Amino acid sequence: MFNLKKNIIPNTNIKITTKDSRTFEGLVLPDTTSQKVVLKLSSGYNIGILNKNIQETKSLKNQVSKKNKLPKLKTNKKLPTISILHTGGTIASKVDYETGAVLSQFSPEDIISMFPEIKGLANIDSKLVRNMWSSNMNFNHFNILAKAVEKEVKKGVDGIIVTLGTDALTYASAALSFILEGISIPVIFTASQRSSDRGSSDAFLNLYCAVKFAKEANFAGVAICMHGSSNDDYCNVLPACKTKKLHSSRRNTFQPVNTAPIAKVTTENIEFFPETHHKKRNDSKLKLKLLNPKLKLGILRFHPHFQSSMLEPIKKFDGLIIEGTGLGNGPVECVDEFTKENEKTIKTITALTKKMPVTMTTQCVFGRVNMNVYSYGRKILDSGVWGNHTDMLPETAFVKLAWLLSNYNKKEIKELYHKNLRGEISERTLYND
Amino acid sequence: MTDLDYKKLGFKCGLEIHQQLETHKLFCNCPSIVHDSNPNIKIKRKLRAVAGETGKVDAAAAYEIKKDLKNVYEACSSSSCLIELDEEPPKEVNKDALDIVLQVALLLNAKPVDEIRVMRKTVVDGSNVSGFQRTMLVATDGFIETSKGKVIVDSICLEEESAKKVEKKDDYVKFRLDRLGVPLIEIATDASIKDPEHCKEVASLLGMILRSTNHVKRGIGTIRQDVNVSIKGHPRVEIKGFQDLKSIPKIILYETKREISEIKSKKKTASHVRKADPDFTTSYLRPMPGAARMYPETDVPPIPLEKELLLKIKLPELITEKVMKLEKRYNLSSQLAQELVHNEDFEKYVKTFKISPELIAKSLIEVPKEISKRFNLTTEKINNSSYEEVFKAVENKTINESAILEILTDVAKGNKIDLKKFKKVSTSGIESEIKTMVQANKKLSPNAIMGMVMAKYRGKVDGKKVMEIIKANL
Repeated sequence: MFNLKKNIIPNTNIKITTKDSRTFEGLVLPDTTSQKVVLKLSSGYNIGILNKNIQETKSLKNQVSKKNKLPKLKTNKKLPTISILHTGGTIASKVDYETGAVLSQFSPEDIISMFPEIKGLANIDSKLVRNMWSSNMNFNHFNILAKAVEKEVKKGVDGIIVTLGTDALTYASAALSFILEGISIPVIFTASQRSSDRGSSDAFLNLYCAVKFAKEANFAGVAICMHGSSNDDYCNVLPACKTKKLHSSRRNTFQPVNTAPIAKVTTENIEFFPETHHKKRNDSKLKLKLLNPKLKLGILRFHPHFQSSMLEPIKKFDGLIIEGTGLGNGPVECVDEFTKENEKTIKTITALTKKMPVTMTTQCVFGRVNMNVYSYGRKILDSGVWGNHTDMLPETAFVKLAWLLSNYNKKEIKELYHKNLRGEISERTLYND
Repeated sequence: MTDLDYKKLGFKCGLEIHQQLETHKLFCNCPSIVHDSNPNIKIKRKLRAVAGETGKVDAAAAYEIKKDLKNVYEACSSSSCLIELDEEPPKEVNKDALDIVLQVALLLNAKPVDEIRVMRKTVVDGSNVSGFQRTMLVATDGFIETSKGKVIVDSICLEEESAKKVEKKDDYVKFRLDRLGVPLIEIATDASIKDPEHCKEVASLLGMILRSTNHVKRGIGTIRQDVNVSIKGHPRVEIKGFQDLKSIPKIILYETKREISEIKSKKKTASHVRKADPDFTTSYLRPMPGAARMYPETDVPPIPLEKELLLKIKLPELITEKVMKLEKRYNLSSQLAQELVHNEDFEKYVKTFKISPELIAKSLIEVPKEISKRFNLTTEKINNSSYEEVFKAVENKTINESAILEILTDVAKGNKIDLKKFKKVSTSGIESEIKTMVQANKKLSPNAIMGMVMAKYRGKVDGKKVMEIIKANL
């Protein structure tokens, strides 16, 4: 037996003869395993060939492709400077057509070669903060991001772009808007729902509009810039604490909740919405108020047939966010022979509120909590649950409570939770269609 | 067409066939109905050229992107979902389409790959909303036998159909999305086709094999042939847009002649794509796309083609075999057998009714044709139950065979079948009546008298016997 492993080396060219006397020539791809070779044929197609079906292999001379070295970028003193902070992910991915692999690119030269249209907008500085897959993030990552932002602010840049996967983007944007106290320039989160390796990617417009807003707009604070519709025509700049990912795959997945967008951005124009109040660029000093990564907080949803035992593990936590039904209600009343469990639930909730902040939000997504309307709401309110009359998203309430627990004392926490600090609570619910 | 010596010219020719399948769409559950209803969805997108790692933007891609057009997509919810709009990731490959492509691969004596990997082929003309076409190599190393020897089938792929371009303006191109995502089988032969007529033969054979699966779409635009042609000293040229098989030999002949004259004029040409025009000449379409345009479709898991799966594939009988069987078994003309091959009812009727198979075949194929030709009627009202009723009456001898045309004409007109109207009249019963007619019209020809009799008894009497009586009494 010849040694299969000898010739099957990822990223080398090979000729394979199979037992049914077919020959395949191509590049061995890295997803080759001990069971099968994944080969990129000269036609461009990939196929898998089972090792047990291979008769013979022969190494072929590797074609060394010349990689173009990108020209170093020159600074234009007349243009503002924008820093792009990457966390990995698809917005900065590029296809290697030789292997078919999708590679992430982060140097300013790479970014300009991928998005040449932003070249004339600003001097671009760009770096990978750290690979953080959106869904795997925790408070440590939010702190790292905040510190990276602080570093750029100290350099005196005119605006900062943060690129991140979309899944947990609104948690991160809310976290940073709390952590970055006194931020005096725009910090704009952007992302893509279709990866930038495809011609149809939303990344191009999203990044362009984010850079345009970050360098031109008289705005200070954290915001999100993403597609405003399914068309490639404009982006919305959205409030960091009042935006939700409302669609698992569409381009305009991010929608403002209980408020309007901050601005509409096209490649030509920035238009602020009159209803939203935002801070303007200023001279205030940035102070980081980081999250305590040791905190344990949970988000829990009330639903029919709720089991009080769901609450048991929470006893060891530092705080709980409840997504109540409707106005902030839940299964807490014993009304007949089937609802005895509900008594246990309210008893456990009452016990929890003695130990930690327990707050109410609504699972309706839109609207405000009002626990005075129904008897079960009043019962929950009486048990010591916070959040009456707030209209915070559960994601934002979660991040805010963690931030308060990290930076303030007990008395302050309760007061500040119910107070609008970063645009997370609206005083009045406006009519929006 | 034999005025050129193709061997001497170094003639090389390969064929690529694209055939739409009659299943749901390849990566979603939308029906694959190509239609032109009013769209209820309209979106605007811009496609960008995305450079590969090598820094190269594909030649075809660069050509399209230079135009910097906006794409407008129109769609109907009945035939398009978020997947066509590039707003949702693809589902897994449609199982029926996979089954059909494997049938075709085996019919072409090809060997399936061990594992299919779905690829994204970069397309920048806007006809794929995503900017790429999903495609996969299913089998390799097949062949077909032709009158001029074996032709190798290099590859059999399964891919998505593109969106149809419906309007082009200076600043935008408009597409319809109903066709986007319809499964396509792509069959590519090697360059061993010997001459233009041979190319037509190969195309027609491949078409027959595809139709044998009974699950391919029929009609204009559902099958497309691309031909690659070159002669010694001229780069390869791909010709697209053949209207029908008949035009293939002439277009290839003209293209060969064009290449000869280009070589003579010492004009330098690069490999490119040409469009077949109605006058059998070709015109420049775009540069030849490069090979460096494919990367993995990471949203769809690889598909292992295990032996057990391949053993389960049921191979259909080839149409040519079916036709031969029909001819032999029922003693039919080859013309009739060919037309009957797609008729699912013929053999069922033959089994059910004790009447001649030829009569059944003619009633199914020729009678409707005659009705539409003679009376300018559509024949869609003639259904299985009309046939059953008529065949039963013939079997019971309550009507004459000649009444079939009359009865079905009535049905086509929208009338109910009235067998009494066509009740068989014995010729002996009207013999005296015929005699009287002959006596009264002695100056007329037998055919004219026949016409008078048949005007009254059409479909009810046996015409042959009537003629015999007329002749006997003249």
